[in-house]
Amino acid sequence: MAGHEQTTQRSDVKTTKQEGSKKHIIAFIFSILLTFIAFALVMAGEINIDFVYILLVVLAIVQVFVQMAFWMHMKDRGHTFAIIAILSGVVVVFTCVIMALFWTTW
Amino acid sequence: MSSHSHVEGQLPHEPERATLEGRNKITGFWLFLGGETVLFGTLFAAYLTLRGQIMDGPAPNELFDFALVAVATALLLTSSLTSVFSMQAMHRHDVKGLIGWLLVTLVLGAAFLGVEIYEFNHYAHMGHTFSASAFSTSFYTLVGFHGAHVAFGLFWVILLLLQLKQRGLNTTTAPKVYLFSLYWHFIDVVWVFIFTVVYLMGKVG
Repeated sequence: MAGHEQTTQRSDVKTTKQEGSKKHIIAFIFSILLTFIAFALVMAGEINIDFVYILLVVLAIVQVFVQMAFWMHMKDRGHTFAIIAILSGVVVVFTCVIMALFWTTW
Repeated sequence: MSSHSHVEGQLPHEPERATLEGRNKITGFWLFLGGETVLFGTLFAAYLTLRGQIMDGPAPNELFDFALVAVATALLLTSSLTSVFSMQAMHRHDVKGLIGWLLVTLVLGAAFLGVEIYEFNHYAHMGHTFSASAFSTSFYTLVGFHGAHVAFGLFWVILLLLQLKQRGLNTTTAPKVYLFSLYWHFIDVVWVFIFTVVYLMGKVG
C-alpha cells in the first residue's frame, strides 16, 4: 500500500493546468446538432431511402467519434490500448453486421 | 493520513491514475468495453436480420413514438455531459462538485429509464409484446439489454456515492468513479446507434 507514493511522482507536475469545460460543451452542442439533423432527415421524408440510410450511419459514426475522442479521452496520450480494445470489438461487430445484411438482402 | 496521498497529503491532479492498481483497472475496463462492443454488435446484427419479420404485430414505422425517443435521447446525452463535469470536479479535487454532478447524472439516467419503461409498456399495449414476432423479440432484446445496462449503472453510481460520502476522494475511490464515467459514456455511445439503427431506420422503412 505505502509503495504507491513513488509511482505518483511523474504525472503531476505537467498536468497542473485546469482542463476547461468549453471543449466538452462544444462536443455536447455538436452531438445535439448531429442528432437533430438525423431526426429531421427522417421526419422530412420523400428522400431516397438508400441515401437516408447512408447519411444516418455517417451521422451516428461522426457523433460517436466526437464523444469517444473528447468524453472518453481516447484522443489523449496513453490511450493506445483503449483504441486497440475498442477496434478489436468493432472488427467483430463489423463482420456480424455485414453477415446480417448479406443474409437479409441476398 | 491516507497512505495513498502524493506529497504532504495532497492528491495528484489525476487521482485515478496515481496508483498502479488504478491504471490497471482502467486498462482492464477498456478490455471489458471492447467485449461489450461485441455483445451489442451481435444483438444489432440479430436485430438487422430479424427486423423485417413482423408477423401479425405492428410494423416499426407505425409503432415507434418519435417524441419519446427524442426525450430519451436528450436525457441520456445530457447525463453523459454531466458525468464529464463530475470528472472535471474530481480533477479539481472538488468532492462536493463530484458528488453533485454524479447525483445529476443519476437523476437523468433514472428519468431515461422511466421513459423507456413507459415506452415499452405503451408498445406492449399496441400488441408489440416480447413474443409477438421475431422483430419484437430482437427489438426488446437489443433495447432492453441497453436499458439493463442503464439500470446497472444507476445501482453502481448509488454505491459509489455512498462510498464517496463515507471515505471521501482518495486514490482508491477515484479510479472507481472514473470507470463509472467511462461506462456511462459507453452506454450513451451505444444509444446513438440504437436511435439511429432501430428507431430512425425503422421509421424510414
